[in-house]
Amino acid sequence: MASRVLTVATLCAIVQLTGCAAFRSYDSELQETNQQLASGNVDAALALLEKNNKGEDKDLLYYFEKGELLRSKGDLSGSQDAWREADSVVFKWEESVKLDTAKYLSQFGSYLVNDKVRRYEGYDYEKVMLTTQMALNLLAQNDFDGARTEIKKTHEREAVIAELRDKEYLKREEEAEKEGVKTEYKDLQGYPVAALDAPEVVGLKNSYQSAFSHYLSGYVYEALGEKGLAAPGYRKAAELRPNTALLERALLDLDKPAAKGADSDVLIVVQSGLAPARDSVRIPLPLPISGNLVITPLSFPIIKEDTSTAHFSEIYLNDKTLSLTALNSTTAMSRRALRDDMPGIILRTSVRAITRGVAQKQLNDVNPLAGLAVGIASAVTEGADTRTWRTLPDDTLVARVRLAQGEHQLSLPSNLGGSKIAVKIDRPYQVVALRVVGNRVYAGGPALQVTQPAPAAAVASLK
Amino acid sequence: MMFARFSLLAVVVALASGCANNSPVLGGKNIGYGDSKAVELVTNEFGSTDLQMIAESMTRSLAQSGILQGRPVVQVYDVKNKTSEYIDTREITTSIKTQLMKTGTARFASDNNQMQSQVDQLKLQNQSGLYKKNTVAKTGNMIAAKYRLEGSISSIVKRSSDYKDVFYKFSLQLIDVESGLAEWMDEKEIRKTTER
Repeated sequence: MASRVLTVATLCAIVQLTGCAAFRSYDSELQETNQQLASGNVDAALALLEKNNKGEDKDLLYYFEKGELLRSKGDLSGSQDAWREADSVVFKWEESVKLDTAKYLSQFGSYLVNDKVRRYEGYDYEKVMLTTQMALNLLAQNDFDGARTEIKKTHEREAVIAELRDKEYLKREEEAEKEGVKTEYKDLQGYPVAALDAPEVVGLKNSYQSAFSHYLSGYVYEALGEKGLAAPGYRKAAELRPNTALLERALLDLDKPAAKGADSDVLIVVQSGLAPARDSVRIPLPLPISGNLVITPLSFPIIKEDTSTAHFSEIYLNDKTLSLTALNSTTAMSRRALRDDMPGIILRTSVRAITRGVAQKQLNDVNPLAGLAVGIASAVTEGADTRTWRTLPDDTLVARVRLAQGEHQLSLPSNLGGSKIAVKIDRPYQVVALRVVGNRVYAGGPALQVTQPAPAAAVASLK
Repeated sequence: MMFARFSLLAVVVALASGCANNSPVLGGKNIGYGDSKAVELVTNEFGSTDLQMIAESMTRSLAQSGILQGRPVVQVYDVKNKTSEYIDTREITTSIKTQLMKTGTARFASDNNQMQSQVDQLKLQNQSGLYKKNTVAKTGNMIAAKYRLEGSISSIVKRSSDYKDVFYKFSLQLIDVESGLAEWMDEKEIRKTTER
């Protein structure tokens, strides 16, 4: 009798759970949203986002995506409001980590809960990019003092993350040893290992430090006349991306006396594409369950690169070619984050599967129906966590030029739609930020005016 | 009469009790004020104690050197940050400046970052026609610096799997503007190690 009640209760729980995060397909939700963004329908993209997040209790991802969509729309203050909400969530996370690192690590390392039912707390690179994007919003409005605050927050947060990860990796090694799980991601048959071992992924120092964030902070501090703080910004960027002429020159130029004349020091930032998606793959692994080695299919996340936008490395400034320097790739950072997380994911997934296997076997021996129910429940809930900030730009490219004050024109290569952007330069230091998705260009702020050539053709080509 | 005296006393006591420095504390179980001079060892990055140590040792050394006779005018330049850490070097020079100023050993000319505001204010007073003539600050009377103060901070960071060692070196020099000679120089070294 008791077991029948248990069976019914389990089935009920499954039915009720289908509405919750465990069953949400973040990938397909955001695919639609991003399609709208790539075809220029930002309002439709926003409406979709709202439709998919009807609940009262909005999570971090909602604010991440909303901020980026509003930024594309040109609503910089709305975007800033949404990101401020996200920032307060990250701030709370930061505080909890600082206050009690050990407690945080033990909670995160819990074997009982699947990663995808945990409340989303953001990947490290997303936390760093959040405040970087917020700084870009403020810079589009020439608010350098506001941007300074965001930038300072970025590098302070980075220090907290660095310390936490140091401790986490150490603890994980100890635990893997204790649990006897020796599988590495390289041992997973059929897993796309090459993507995680690509040179641009292995070449990163870690998953969260962005050369662009540090370069931008160098630029902002320099613009504010704080050379003592600008130097480490440029230096860190150069350490993260060695042999990059732009970064080395920034450091050298910092010591030169300020250039005479009325020309402005303009930083052109072009962010293109979309962050990669996370998907789940099932890979069978032999696990020791009740003394036997049982081949059990387990779910692991993989990274799917976005293909909406062609990669490019130059644009046109007043009809002359301007080559851009790539400083950031979200795809590489995301892969690196997964590469660093994989040992933990393998450990947690295996331990959970073993525990479940043992429980199911015991239940099966007593009541096959209840065993079946638990089996179904676990088959439905098991799956890798596919949530990640998807509207975040993929590549960030920059160029730094000296321009006379007045009107200038930027234009994109014809394979990206050939949009023209009128730029008004009127400050000694000015940041011009463009966002390219598909063959649309988005630019916010009072200084920029975008002309999209023949929008109908652009939409048609996507279909 | 007696009553009036008592009432007066009562009033004085009542007033005095308000003067006591026992302000009530509102909320905050985990929040407290600490000693701003307490040694900070939270992480081994550049911290408040390093800033205070550098500023104090430099001020003491400079004040005792005997160079600063007759409160000379000094122009402070930014300290060059040669580390990879975001250290607000201007805060170090501000502390040094404040301490020298408080002891009355030196006077300071407008430094680079204040110069613009100073020029703007002079222009506003002299060119806008908004101010009463006899209160307007005259141009051409700013005092030039006899010395300039400049320095740098650099670091060496070494790391092994269970050890992190950071070595900071802060150096500062006082240069006579006219002769170009360095009249005083000192450095402060700080070593911090963390074992994991």
